[in-house]
Formats: sequence, structure tokens, C-alpha cells
Amino acid sequence: MPDRAAAAPGRTFRARRFGRLNLEVRQSIGRFKHAAFIAFGLGVGLAISVAILLAAGVEAANIFDEFVVLTFFDRLGLSSVLIECSPLILVGLSAAVAFRVNFWNIGIEGQFFWGAIGATVIAIFDVGPPSIRIGLMLVFAIVGGFLWIVPPAIFKIRFGVNEVISTLLLNYVAYQFVLNQIYGAWQDPRDRFPHSEAFDAAERLPLLGWEKVHLGLLISLVAVALVWWLMQRSRFGVYMRFVGANPHMALASGIPVAMTIFLAVGLSGALSGAAGFVMGAAQEHRLTGTMAAGYGFSGIMIAFLARNNPAAVLVVAFLIGGLYAAGQSVKVFYSLPQALVSLIQAIVVMCVAASDFLVRYRVHWLRGDGR
Amino acid sequence: MIEFLANWLAFTPVFAVPLLLATLGLIVNERAGVINLGAEGMMLCGALAGVACYIEFGESTAVGMTAAAFAGLLIAFLFAFVVVVLRADQVVTGITIVFFGAGLTGLIGLRWNDTAIAGFRKLDLGFLSEIPFFGKVVFAQDAMVYLTIPIAFGVWYFLFRTRAGLNLRAVGENPQAADAAGIAVDAYRFCAVAAGGVLCGMAGGYLALAAAKIWVNEMTHGRGWIAIALVIFARWMPGRAVLGALLFGGIEALIPRIFAAGWPVPQYFLQMTPFLATLAVLVWVGVAGKRRSAAPGALGLPYVREDRW
Repeated sequence: MPDRAAAAPGRTFRARRFGRLNLEVRQSIGRFKHAAFIAFGLGVGLAISVAILLAAGVEAANIFDEFVVLTFFDRLGLSSVLIECSPLILVGLSAAVAFRVNFWNIGIEGQFFWGAIGATVIAIFDVGPPSIRIGLMLVFAIVGGFLWIVPPAIFKIRFGVNEVISTLLLNYVAYQFVLNQIYGAWQDPRDRFPHSEAFDAAERLPLLGWEKVHLGLLISLVAVALVWWLMQRSRFGVYMRFVGANPHMALASGIPVAMTIFLAVGLSGALSGAAGFVMGAAQEHRLTGTMAAGYGFSGIMIAFLARNNPAAVLVVAFLIGGLYAAGQSVKVFYSLPQALVSLIQAIVVMCVAASDFLVRYRVHWLRGDGR
Repeated sequence: MIEFLANWLAFTPVFAVPLLLATLGLIVNERAGVINLGAEGMMLCGALAGVACYIEFGESTAVGMTAAAFAGLLIAFLFAFVVVVLRADQVVTGITIVFFGAGLTGLIGLRWNDTAIAGFRKLDLGFLSEIPFFGKVVFAQDAMVYLTIPIAFGVWYFLFRTRAGLNLRAVGENPQAADAAGIAVDAYRFCAVAAGGVLCGMAGGYLALAAAKIWVNEMTHGRGWIAIALVIFARWMPGRAVLGALLFGGIEALIPRIFAAGWPVPQYFLQMTPFLATLAVLVWVGVAGKRRSAAPGALGLPYVREDRW
């Protein structure tokens, strides 16, 4: 109707002339198509990441070598991937458990720190006989991580306080507390550097006998199995799904909503604490101020890419472990900052999140008639 | 004691302004129904752009602030494209923007790392600045402090006294109804996110050019998150945001004063206070039960028209 468009300039006219985007909500999507769209998002993300690496000065020929061949198909490289991925698996599980009940735990780094603090207390004060000390450290780390998430969990359940902000703020509090300890009472008396004294042999996780891979990997694998059973096979897992999908309906059906959220969130904190333990007892061998850096976001991204599925967390964490390991060597050889790893993760997540657009909507472009 | 009080109050605006700018930006954002958790990342980009352009282009704070606003705008375009046009999850995308900003600035900021700059200078308003106590507190701030007051007023005026502001609030409250009334929902949301990005970028730029006078990695140190909490504290009202920013700016300004006075307070516990105070405020708002009534109705929800084609 060109005459009407001419008679009524303004919005109607412009809409007709240029056409517009129309979104149709998909009722369902085929498995293949779904996977293809996500692979597309992943591909775009990786392409941008490669472009950034090139711009940062890594030679094109070396990117494949550094990030794939020397990382996954090399004995030393693979062993360092396995070492890197142990804490990543635990933080990924931590995020997945909390996200399943719609609790955005952004405070993984804080709980990670409190796990490390719990382990450090046992280690540097030599609590308990040496034979069980490492087990005691794990228990204290789990308790530390759990306790750190209790306040935000209660604030959320009781008063509706936004957990994204509350858990995140507590990261800074935990970090300042760690600084207080490592610059103060727990400072290493030997070298006076701001970290705790090194753990003794009995306070370190034993090696498994293949390169430097340690028991932390087994702990993470056991955690995957337990969390998988809990989330996918147990009654509690059904509760979690229900509460996450529709808390009002769950409450009406007689499911203990508050308790389900509390336990899932508590488990999330405990898993992050365990990650702090693995980091302290197997990699850093002490409490440091930088040990948690990046693990919060990595956990979130692993759970997001794994769609909160514990088995998928294992796979994604393994790949991110590769990114961490390759990031280490790129850092050394090209003197690029650790921030690069953070940036690549952010780009990949953003692209996959954006690819959800194609999964959720069928997109049409409505042509205008005034061209 | 008077000396201490004057110093403290004189330093408060420097810390309050970045919080206020970011909070105002987030209010515009959230009033349109988009929750922007990426404030911290936008502030970081603004801070780096501000310092870098200040150093490279003739040490001008105006250039620095413009660059900071522009950097915030660019990141906001990215965020707006993903959450408004592609309708991705706002929480995940927002958190990602934080790490995107931290990673990007960490990568390209190396050149300007740890370079001390002169930054904003305090204005000398002649005899006004000479007035004991009040002169130092009120009439000897830098230009941006005075400029922030009209910005805050402008945001309030726009949101509550203009048709466009009314439309924007309608979009955040009930996008279906707004759409039916002929308001271009996506366009309003896109522009609101862009405006929020500009203000967050300026907040970061000011933080680097006036408060820190230096660029270091992750220098915003949680202020973006405090601003997000301040939006809730302010109940999405620009006027209350001014109060909140002054309160939290005051807490932040107190910390270096206490160090300078040499009181025996454990340093790291002191630095926890802004975060603990923010948490306390959030809990207080939650207990008082004011939160639900004040939040825009469609906050965080993507809008799809679902029309026929």
C-alpha cells in the first residue's frame, strides 16, 4: 500500500521501506541442527581467538603446534593438561551444581580461597598425625568452601538478596583476608615473600607415577562420578531440576525448595573449596594470593558450555585445561600476559551464548516494499 | 580532628563520582529492562582508554574522558548486540563482558602499565576555595565533579520528565504493552545499553585519571559490582543514587585517610569494608522487602514479539 505509506510518514513508512527482522520461537529443534548451530558459534569464537593471537604476535604456523600438537599429543604437554584440568573440573562441577538450581554462584574464587585457607591451617600448624593429615586438609577445605557460601545462600533464600552480587563481593573479602594472612601471621619465615610457608611432604598430594600428574586428578574424577550420580540419577537430582525449572510449581508439589537450593548451593561451595585444596596441596604447595585467579570465570564458563551436565564438564574442563597449559607456554615464549587466557575464554563463551539465538528462534527478514 | 574531617570530605567526591556515573548508567540500563552485570568490564576499558589517550594525546583530561566514554560505548555495542538483538542470556553475557574487559585491557594495556600521570587537577576558584573547611570540601574539586551534578540531574530529567524517558521506562516495565503502543522496544533497549556504556566508561576513565592517576590491571577492583548493588540500594532512582554514591565514596575515601593518620587498624580488613558495607546494604534492602516493588518489571528478560510473518 504505497499510498498509505506516503500519507503517513514516520515509523510505518520506515518499517515498510527497509523491512525488518522477524523472530519465530522454535517449538523444538533437531539434535543435528542444534549441534551444528553451537559448533558454528564455537567456530566463530575460535576464529576470533586465532585472529587475536595473530595480532598479539604469535606466528600463524605455531598456533596449531602450540595449542594442539604440543598440548594434547605430547607426553609432557598432556601431563600438564591433566594437572591443569584437576581444579578446573572441580570448579566446573561447582558452577554446574549451583546453576542447576538457578543460583548464580559467581563467588567460586572466594570459596576456592577458603578451601585453600582450610587446607593451609591444617598444614602449617601440623594438625593431626602425618598419616591422615592430607585427608584432614581435604575435609577442612571442603568445610571452608561450604561455610563461605552459606551467608549468600541464606540471604538469597530468606531475603531475596541477589546472589550474583553477594557471592562476588565476598570474593574480594576472601582475597583481602588471604592478603592479611600472607603479609602477616602466615608469611613465609624462610624467604619473607608474601605466601605461606611450603607444605611438608606429608601435606602434598602424592604423584600418580606418570610425569607429574597427581592424585588431584583422581579426586576430580571421583567428584565427577558422585556429582553425575547425584544430578542425573538420584531423587535429589530430580528435585534440583524441578526447583531450577520452576520453583513455584516445585513448592506446590511439596518439594522442599529452600532445602534443595541450600544443599545444592552448599555442595557448590564445597566443590570450590576442594578445588582450592587441590591447587594448594598439589600445585602451589602453599597459600598464595594469586592461586585462585581466573578459576571463578573458568568454572562458570565450563558449566555454561557443558550445559550443567557433569559428564560434559569433564570434557570441557579437559579442553580448557589445554588452553591453560598452552597459555602457560605462550606466556613464556611470547611474553604474553595471562589475561590472554581470560580473553579467549570470554570470546568463546560470548559466541556460544550468541549462537543460542539460532537455536531458539527461526529468523526471517521481512522485506520492505519501498526499495 | 577538623583537619582530618576536612581532608576526608574533600576526598569523598573523587571516589563518589565514578560510583555515581556507573550507577546512573546502570539505572538507565535497567530502567529499559536490561541488567548489565558487565559494568566492571566497561569501566576497565574506559579506564585504560582514558589513561592511554591521556598519555598519547597531549595529556588532556578532556581527551582522556572522551576516549573513556567511547571505549565504554564500544563495549556496550557488543553487549547490546548480544543481549538485545540476539537476545542471549543477560546474566551470562554480562559476566562474560567483565572478563572480556579484564582480558582485553590486560593484553593491550601493558604499554601504559604503572605509568603515573598528573590527571585531573583541582580547580582554584579564587576566594571561594580559600574559605576555611568549606572551600576545600566544596569549591576545590576538579571539573568532572562539578560536571557530574548536571549529568545526574539530566538522567533524572530524561527518565522522569521527557516522553522518551517515559517510553524507556515502559519498555523496561512491560515491553509487550510498550510494543503494542508503538514504541520500538529493541531500539530503546539498544540505546539505553549504549548510554549506560558511555557512563560506565566515563566512570572508569575518571577513576584512572582522577582517583588513581595511574593504570594498573584490574584497577576498578570491584567498583562496578558495588555500582550494581547501588542501583538496588537507590531503588532505580537517580536522586537516591547520588546519596548512595556519596555514602560509599565516603567509605572509600576514609580508608586512605586512616592510613595517612597512622591509626593502628589492620590494613586488609579495612579494605574489606566497602564490600562488606555493600553486602550489608543489600541485605538491609532485602530484609526491608523493598526490592521487588522497585525493580523494573521486565528486568533481565529478553523480549520477542512473536508476530506472524
